[in-house]
Amino acid sequence: MRAALLITGAAVERLMSRRRAVWMLLLSGSPAPVYLLLTWGRSDPGGEFYNNLTIAFGMGILYPLVALIASTAVLGEERKARTLPFLLLKPVSRWTIALGAFAGAFLTSLMVLEAGVLVSWAAAGVKSGDWSIGAPAAVAAAVQSLASAAIFVPLGLVLNRAALAGLGYLLIWEGILAAAIEGLQASSVYRIVVSAWADLAAMTPDTFDAVDGVLGRVEAGLWGALAKTVVLAALSVFVTGWLLRRRDLVGE
Amino acid sequence: MSDAMHVPGASVVAENLSRWFGQKVAVSELSCSFGPGVTGLLGPNGAGKTTLLRILAGLLTPSTGKATVLGQTPRRHHGVHRRLGFVPEDEAVYGHMSARRFVEWSAALYKVDNPAAAAGRALETVQLTEDAHRPLSTFSKGMRQRTKVAAALVHDPEVLLLDEPLNGTDPLQRARLIELMVRLGGEGRTIIVSSHVLAEVERMAGRVVAMVDGRGAAAGSVASLRDAMSDTPRLIRIDADRPRPLARRLLAGDWVEEVRVGEAGVEIRTRDSRALGLDIAAAAREAGAVVTAVSPEDDSLESVFRYLVES
Repeated sequence: MRAALLITGAAVERLMSRRRAVWMLLLSGSPAPVYLLLTWGRSDPGGEFYNNLTIAFGMGILYPLVALIASTAVLGEERKARTLPFLLLKPVSRWTIALGAFAGAFLTSLMVLEAGVLVSWAAAGVKSGDWSIGAPAAVAAAVQSLASAAIFVPLGLVLNRAALAGLGYLLIWEGILAAAIEGLQASSVYRIVVSAWADLAAMTPDTFDAVDGVLGRVEAGLWGALAKTVVLAALSVFVTGWLLRRRDLVGE
Repeated sequence: MSDAMHVPGASVVAENLSRWFGQKVAVSELSCSFGPGVTGLLGPNGAGKTTLLRILAGLLTPSTGKATVLGQTPRRHHGVHRRLGFVPEDEAVYGHMSARRFVEWSAALYKVDNPAAAAGRALETVQLTEDAHRPLSTFSKGMRQRTKVAAALVHDPEVLLLDEPLNGTDPLQRARLIELMVRLGGEGRTIIVSSHVLAEVERMAGRVVAMVDGRGAAAGSVASLRDAMSDTPRLIRIDADRPRPLARRLLAGDWVEEVRVGEAGVEIRTRDSRALGLDIAAAAREAGAVVTAVSPEDDSLESVFRYLVES
């Protein structure tokens, strides 16, 4: 366990130590200025607008994008920078390395997304006077971080252009196929995240309709979303460990 | 394969090892072993040294054959890495970490009792204590190499594999690293150092295993390898203004096997390039020729090793 923590610590340190961290933080915090700009001068408290912004812009675009960047980089960068031997040559099982890398990606995404949520939460709290408004978004960000790490960490290990492939997945699978084909909705990460959020949020009828449109056949529920995500995470660690066991590191 | 390929009481053994990548054979049916002390793994670029070291370290699976380190297969038994250190050829390091952080982190992953103290000792060994606080991204290639050596030494391994560790180091750093290898080998550790420069290997290794085209070409002491090399026919080109009289004069020496005369010089195949070298000045004087250049045409390790394999 100590080895996994060491690997996690080094991964977080690496992912947060470059310009990428600044970009991720800017992306994650961008709903706050958008919210302030679009609610400027409006008389309504802005709670509904905050919720709709979180569903469409936050959970639909920003959360998965930030988590994609962190998750594909955690092992992908080790592979491209040829630093994987420093991990693989230690007396540590491949599963431990996989767990450490997974946790590193998850924690990085979580920290960056929660920082963004906090900023927009503060903006919406000041404007609406409702300080409970951001809690569902914070939970959704955590679910998003876990699910994205599960999908994109092994992808980063396998593909050279994992971030691009991940974007393709978000656009085609999450954006088009899962919206069009009801049978695929239960496997959509976006819908899993929205279902967790919807279980906790106080929604106006308009917001409820919007959520209903996104979820389709998926039932809203925090525990169901968490269960699905945890299973996905366990599978991901297993697959990443297996890939690392099979991986040959060829020299120059 | 000759018995010189093996040593008694070996801690690192390659048995019938082959590794290919698609159509390319990187290591071919190589059987050799390594024991305490420094062994130079010598060969030209592309000889298969890196592939062999990566198999021995457990980073690559052999296509056929078996590699064991201290009786275990590193690819399967990760525990053996507690007793094994590896310095990869790649320049890559975690640029955001300081040297101290990197070595300490390695020590912790090696499950060393006191990682901070062990890191301090290892950095002192490679003489990086003063710069240890600096991020690795600001280090020169030589300093990075020394940091990697420190990280590979931090858990006090019995076996240390180093892939071209002297690449990119300046003469002073090179001398220090060579001194370190010699000291570590003298302590009874098994040190395997790959290089394509015989002179480097000669300064640190008591034994040499030479590879070419993925196969074991020769093994033994550096002196025995030099003897084998001196028996290798060499092609020497001598540029001179009067090549024909010079060639006639040089043919008088019994070390000359073949002479080709061109417009601008002579090409001589000899089994004793040293004797030829000593005779050139006198021959030029006697032939009334002005020699402008003497250059070996095939004096690369590759050509020498290829000859050894073919013979």
